[in-house]
Amino acid sequence: MNILCAPAGIVSGEYPRQGTADLARAGFSDLLLDFAAFSCSPGELEYFGRKRKIPPRRPPVSENPSLLAERTRAFLDTARAHRLRTSVARAPFLPENTKRDDLGGLLETLAAESIRAAGQAGCDFLIVKPCFAGRRRDDDGEINRAVFRRLTPLAKESGVTLLLTNQCRDMNGHLMRGLGADAEEAAAWIDRLNEAAGEERFGFAMDLGVTNLCGQNAHDFIHALGRRLKAVILSDNDGSRAASLLPFTAAFQGQSQVDWLNLFRGLRAIRFDGALILQMNDTASAFSPILRPALLALAKATADYVGWQADMENLLRKYPSRVLFGAGNMCRAYMKCYGEAYPPLFTCDNNPKTWGTEFCGLAVKPPESLRELPADTAVFICNVYYREIEEQLGAMGLKNPIEYFSDEYMPSFHFDRLEEQEANDEKARRADTKRGC
Amino acid sequence: MRKLGVQTQNAVADADPRAGFARLRDAGFDCADFSLHSYLLNKDIYQQEINPFFDQSVAALEDFFAPHREAAAAAGVTISQMHMPYPIYVPKGNAELNRYLWHEVAPKSLRLCAFFGCRYIVVHGFKLARFLGSEEAEWQHTEAFLEYLAPMAKEMGITVCIENLYDGIAGHLVEGPCCDAVKCAERIDRLNEKYRAEVLGFCFDTGHANLLGIDPGRFLRTLGHRLKVLHVHDNDGVRDLHQIPFTFARTRESTTSTDWEGFLRGLREIRFPGVLSFETGPALNAFPPSLHAETLRFIARIGRYLAQRLDDAPDATPAPRD
Repeated sequence: MNILCAPAGIVSGEYPRQGTADLARAGFSDLLLDFAAFSCSPGELEYFGRKRKIPPRRPPVSENPSLLAERTRAFLDTARAHRLRTSVARAPFLPENTKRDDLGGLLETLAAESIRAAGQAGCDFLIVKPCFAGRRRDDDGEINRAVFRRLTPLAKESGVTLLLTNQCRDMNGHLMRGLGADAEEAAAWIDRLNEAAGEERFGFAMDLGVTNLCGQNAHDFIHALGRRLKAVILSDNDGSRAASLLPFTAAFQGQSQVDWLNLFRGLRAIRFDGALILQMNDTASAFSPILRPALLALAKATADYVGWQADMENLLRKYPSRVLFGAGNMCRAYMKCYGEAYPPLFTCDNNPKTWGTEFCGLAVKPPESLRELPADTAVFICNVYYREIEEQLGAMGLKNPIEYFSDEYMPSFHFDRLEEQEANDEKARRADTKRGC
Repeated sequence: MRKLGVQTQNAVADADPRAGFARLRDAGFDCADFSLHSYLLNKDIYQQEINPFFDQSVAALEDFFAPHREAAAAAGVTISQMHMPYPIYVPKGNAELNRYLWHEVAPKSLRLCAFFGCRYIVVHGFKLARFLGSEEAEWQHTEAFLEYLAPMAKEMGITVCIENLYDGIAGHLVEGPCCDAVKCAERIDRLNEKYRAEVLGFCFDTGHANLLGIDPGRFLRTLGHRLKVLHVHDNDGVRDLHQIPFTFARTRESTTSTDWEGFLRGLREIRFPGVLSFETGPALNAFPPSLHAETLRFIARIGRYLAQRLDDAPDATPAPRD
């Protein structure tokens, strides 16, 4: 899985040195080449064509689309100096509450410029929001398919895969499901475009902020897209306002208001191996630049954590054999969800009273028994005292791979009650039938 | 002329149902959505604080509701739909509670629906996806419940209607059961085919759809003839407030933030023949009691506006009711 950071709110297009260096120091190795942040903002597009009393400081890219690539040069030079990649780019787009439904031609031109610039910058993917974002038009689908078909030869020539994305439409301030928000329909669009292109030239970038605003089930959304899903834009919000916050920060009553559970379930189910793009411009802008290095270190750790959770099942799959450390609830959760697919050899525990017993079908052994493991058997810590146990294993001189397991986001939860009730009801029904009731 | 309905909650009191139904009629309603769920409140069910109302025999329950039935008839108000108490399954509830809800409350609700001569009863699907891992696994359990009801419903000539619902994550309302119109349509058809009767239909809830940003026009077009009843109400897109349509705005222009045009377009395209029924009982709480009659009249006036918009459209002749 490839983790990127969107530079909006962190890197200035004109003076990109400090922000880019902060991102590099935080450990990011790949940044989004965001033409909407550096070249032509949603606000600029909304005011396109209006008479201005005060002339702009620089010629607007919306009026001079050929300037689009040039506006990213300083950022790209700095990124390269820090050996940062830009594997994904994003074309300019209109704001969600746009009143403009007359800019289809301009958006297509900007998308074409973005494809060229993305190709030159070595990007693999370009996110292009379907046109007329946020405005209801019955012919949206047809118009967009035609636009994307026209862009296909250029995308091929530039070696760039175009990613459609989900977006909101603004109903007088209330954000509703807009173009691309129906995953089944988006999947059908992509298939038709790829068929017309004769190759896989189109995919999808799911904006988690948008699915959250629309209260959508990320698992079902991802499941409908399947292999077409190439990128996920990770941003957090409260489900009501279109903010881009650091994951897990739009919390209320001690819980995140984003459905991370279904995101992880979905990504694991399709064995997602694409790009995770962290977008947190509102959080970044709200913090003082003095605190930004510390914030970005947290952001990197958070993005890594999201990637790790999404990749959990690949991690289990990676080792030929495994043992667990811990004989409690987390071990039980492991056995319920993964015990059959990835059976552990045994589990161990620090509590001597458990040694020699069985837990969820596993023999419970003392930690010393880990010394007898084959070298490539991984030890999965199934206990929240991760670091303490990791230290213990290190002190034992154990050379086996040590991994963490987490039951925070499981494919299902322990829930046998309903099945038991239905079985009992069925039994009672049969008994009634026998008695002739 | 298209019929208008409103829920009885907060409008019809057990102490004097005659006055309540007369008030509905005087306000301009032809029909009522009987709020059976107000006799066993959802918050009490979740707290496992169950009152003994449904312990009564069906005969006793019918006796209890006989004055309501007579009052409705006297006022010329038809009970066009009913709401079963919900939830019928509490994931963290004990077996006794869930058995009671499933085997006592649900069948007795059906019997009462028949007692009122009401054709449609709205039920809530089970909220289990987070426990079981998928909406499909969740549906299997809801379907088991519907299959339990189906033979009774068929015998009584009742259509059980599933409703688009939400679930909550830290106060943020997200998709719950029956929010995918394509899946719902397929499931309704499958069950009806199996029972060779219209045992299952759909209740579209405008407020719940608004909370989830669902495009009402698309949703209704997909449902088509499977749409049987409505819960018309409004909210701010954040909380399930059950308020009067057109009362919410989110910008300084104060234009409605709910897609009522999309809703009307959807109903018009599928030629919905049914009752425009408002689930706005809670809205009455917002007004002083001395204004309740006017509030109901205003809701009915909105109903007439919506009906006019539906029925005045060139291709909007309601499809014949079967």
